[in-house]
Amino acid sequence: MSSTSQKHKDFVAEPMGEKPVFALAGIGEALGKRLEEKGFDKAYVVLGQFLVLKKDEELFREWLKDTCGANSKQQGDCFGCLKEWCDSFL
Amino acid sequence: MPVFVEDPSQFSKQRLKAELITHNVELPARESKKEVLLELYLKHVGVKPTADFSSDEEEDQVQNGNDEGDKPDPDMTDLSLLTDEQLKVKLLKYGVKAGPIVDSTRSLYEKKLQRLMEPAPEVKLNGTGDAGQYSDSEEEQDEEEEDEQEAPEQSDPETVTELDSAANQLKRSPGSGECSYADSSTCSTFSITQLVEQGSLLVAVVTASKCPLTVIGFTLEPANDLLKEMFPDAEVTPFGISATRRRPIRGAAGRPVQFKYPLPDFSPASVERKEISRRLVPLWIQTVIFLIVSSLLFLIYMTFEEFSY
Repeated sequence: MSSTSQKHKDFVAEPMGEKPVFALAGIGEALGKRLEEKGFDKAYVVLGQFLVLKKDEELFREWLKDTCGANSKQQGDCFGCLKEWCDSFL
Repeated sequence: MPVFVEDPSQFSKQRLKAELITHNVELPARESKKEVLLELYLKHVGVKPTADFSSDEEEDQVQNGNDEGDKPDPDMTDLSLLTDEQLKVKLLKYGVKAGPIVDSTRSLYEKKLQRLMEPAPEVKLNGTGDAGQYSDSEEEQDEEEEDEQEAPEQSDPETVTELDSAANQLKRSPGSGECSYADSSTCSTFSITQLVEQGSLLVAVVTASKCPLTVIGFTLEPANDLLKEMFPDAEVTPFGISATRRRPIRGAAGRPVQFKYPLPDFSPASVERKEISRRLVPLWIQTVIFLIVSSLLFLIYMTFEEFSY
């Protein structure tokens, strides 16, 4: 990705704390709703899934697609922002 | 495909149930006898002619899904029946180091394993893998077949197999080989026996293909062998043409030859320069200065000696 969105920059700039799942890059209103329905209400819950999949891009993308029907770009954005967040804060 | 009509009375109970389910027949009771099932089966399903191709396949699939006894391949067992540990081991067999397999990750790993277990596509070289979809491939095949048919007509079957044997034959009967070449003006000086002795297969093939002679038949196969020799890893494609990754050729196309280490410069000027850099002041100047200094010291010593008296 050549340019990152403002959302991505905001997310990776600080610890995620109690941010809602909408704060993740690539997760908009619709996807956020679907994730919340499945119990992934906070960004850190998604982070947990991301970590339990050992930061594997392929698996995480697939999971996101299965869980909320994210398209390829949304998957990439979400993966990228979690990965970068982990690189700086984990 | 041979038509194989099975006797429904020999079906297992499970199989009968499966068949009934596939034909949308309601099962009578939870624990019903086989006879009842058989009756139902014959009534609703009967022995349908197997000409109905698609439904036949469908039946087979369902049957495979339900009937445990018919599955000899252990790899095709239902993945959802595996324990987490088994799943992990299986993934490891395919070179995937799985993370923790928990409720939220299990389905993903199952899918991944499923994908890995599918047989890998055989040949995928620049789209030749789906060559079967295009009609022109059939023509190609026909041509190839024709070639193969023509080859034995033009030369002995022995000569088709290998160039070596062909060369040996020519050696054994040099008269016939040479005179046939002498007929064509382009190859009057060409002697195949000599070339083969030199082991230059390529030249033999190239020059032989230039001559519109009876040898065309045997050049086909050796050409393939040669390619195989040159590229043993290359896979055989239906067209005989395969695209390989481009490899840069050092020194080709005007590019400078790049050595791993810089080439040492042996020109006289550079040698001199090195000499100078090693000794900033040349040797003779050093000796002269040494002499001057020592003579000065000697003079001073002498004058002091004179004054002391």
